[in-house]
Amino acid sequence: MSDIVKTFQSGLADGKLLIQSCNACKNKMLYPRHRCTKCHANDLGWVEASGKGTLHSYTVVRAIPPAGFEGELPYGLGIVKLEEGVQLMARLKPGASGDWSQYACDAAVAFARPSPGPGDDRAVAWFKLA
Amino acid sequence: MTSVQPKLSTDARSANDPVFIGVGEIPSGRYPNRTFIGDLVEVASRALADSGLHHDEIDTILLIPCLHSFSDQADLIFSRLVEELGLSKAAKSNFMVHSGGSTSDNAVRIAAGLIASGHARNVLVLQAERWGSADLTEMVTMLTMNGIPKEWEQPSGITFNAIGALITQRYMAESGSTPEDMASVCVAFRKWANLNPNAMYRDKTLTIEEILASKLVSDPIRAKECPMLADGAAAFVMTAAENAKRKSDSWVRIAGSGGCVSHYSLGQEIEAGKLGWKIAADRAYEHSSWGAKDADFAQIYDSYAAVTTIGAEGLGLCPPGEAARWFRSGATSPGGAFPMNTNGGLLSAGHTGVGGGLALLIEGVRQLLGRAEKPRQIEQARRGIIGGSGGSYMDAQVLLLERIEKGDVQ
Ligand SMILES: [Zn+2]
Repeated sequence: MSDIVKTFQSGLADGKLLIQSCNACKNKMLYPRHRCTKCHANDLGWVEASGKGTLHSYTVVRAIPPAGFEGELPYGLGIVKLEEGVQLMARLKPGASGDWSQYACDAAVAFARPSPGPGDDRAVAWFKLA
Repeated sequence: MTSVQPKLSTDARSANDPVFIGVGEIPSGRYPNRTFIGDLVEVASRALADSGLHHDEIDTILLIPCLHSFSDQADLIFSRLVEELGLSKAAKSNFMVHSGGSTSDNAVRIAAGLIASGHARNVLVLQAERWGSADLTEMVTMLTMNGIPKEWEQPSGITFNAIGALITQRYMAESGSTPEDMASVCVAFRKWANLNPNAMYRDKTLTIEEILASKLVSDPIRAKECPMLADGAAAFVMTAAENAKRKSDSWVRIAGSGGCVSHYSLGQEIEAGKLGWKIAADRAYEHSSWGAKDADFAQIYDSYAAVTTIGAEGLGLCPPGEAARWFRSGATSPGGAFPMNTNGGLLSAGHTGVGGGLALLIEGVRQLLGRAEKPRQIEQARRGIIGGSGGSYMDAQVLLLERIEKGDVQ
């Protein structure tokens, strides 16, 4: 596993969402890259995300999951655009209703602790309705 | 950054203009008794017969991969088809090109480049897939492990149905399309499939009500809106116009093409409701002498309904946001003003892996050659748009194809 993957994943394990930042041009990147996508410099650092974002799109996986995810059905997934201008694929926590019916495209969301249960230790960012 | 699009190096009158002269296909569906190599040889033979070429006139074999087995794929890469088709020593080269569902569009560009530049004379492009006879769970897992970023997205539990669902959800939010509107796209494809003897669902009808009564798989997509994995095979032959003239009175040339690779990970796509279609279309129309208004039909990749509605809008075939309602109006169905996915598309002809795009492509060529079965043939079809997409809808590839008759260029 490369160092950038390790740093990103250990950040998640510590409850932090890390964004890569180019020390040469300040470009922000997520997921982390090997060189800056704007200026191609390789002097790259990290900043912690505010955790605030909007939901670009979402779904609830109810059937035909990949191997190993059978025990987690149903589960919510979404593309989250962070206020820092980067975006990522994330797991979505069920809302107050116990399902995902309160989610909508462009809803405000926030980085959150995983819902306890099978798969809660996976290297994936979780979000909830803000 | 500015980008100037290169121009085509040939026109309809050029001796080396790369053109399609024949296609071959066998039925898609579940055929446990057919074999992978047997299917490839069969479609090769059918495409050659349709082209009027003798097999030993093929100098280049361009392979489109299968996804059901890496060892079957390795056989292709290492020239099994050259031996099977009796082309040992006659073939100049045998190789594979791969960009997932858009492979056939890129294969056309490569074959065209080889022919126009004089590196090849007659190119056979072919593909077979055994998805219909493969283990579904194994294939779903294989697809998750290949093409979904392992470090960033696999841990989320994303699947290809979820990818289709994320695109659909965004498209519906932006366009105000209802579940009924989205289901009507699948129904329109099914009506075409009912006219296509090679379609997996040639004998089964489909209604909006049936779709909405089927189980949610990945919101908002229901079971009957998901593509069914199928066995299938297809092939086409390209040659230079001067050679086509000796064999036939009509052929199909490439008026222009455009493409846009917008992402690798769906999580990185900034416009999941638009993807790369508008950019690809603008590039294609700039590359060609004609545009959306001049086309007689389109065949656009459709592993989920929204993928096609987004493509149709990006291509300017209907007003932005209106594609699903346009499908629902019957405009793209048999008898409609602008036929689309006339083979039934992946959703109703069957999802033959990387071959789904190929099936749409050869249906477009077949229509332009005037060789579709009677009730499906579009009258006076002269210009058609082909749209493909691979991976997690990572790209939009557009080919503008036109029928040429010998009299037009003499
Ligand atoms: Zn930089």
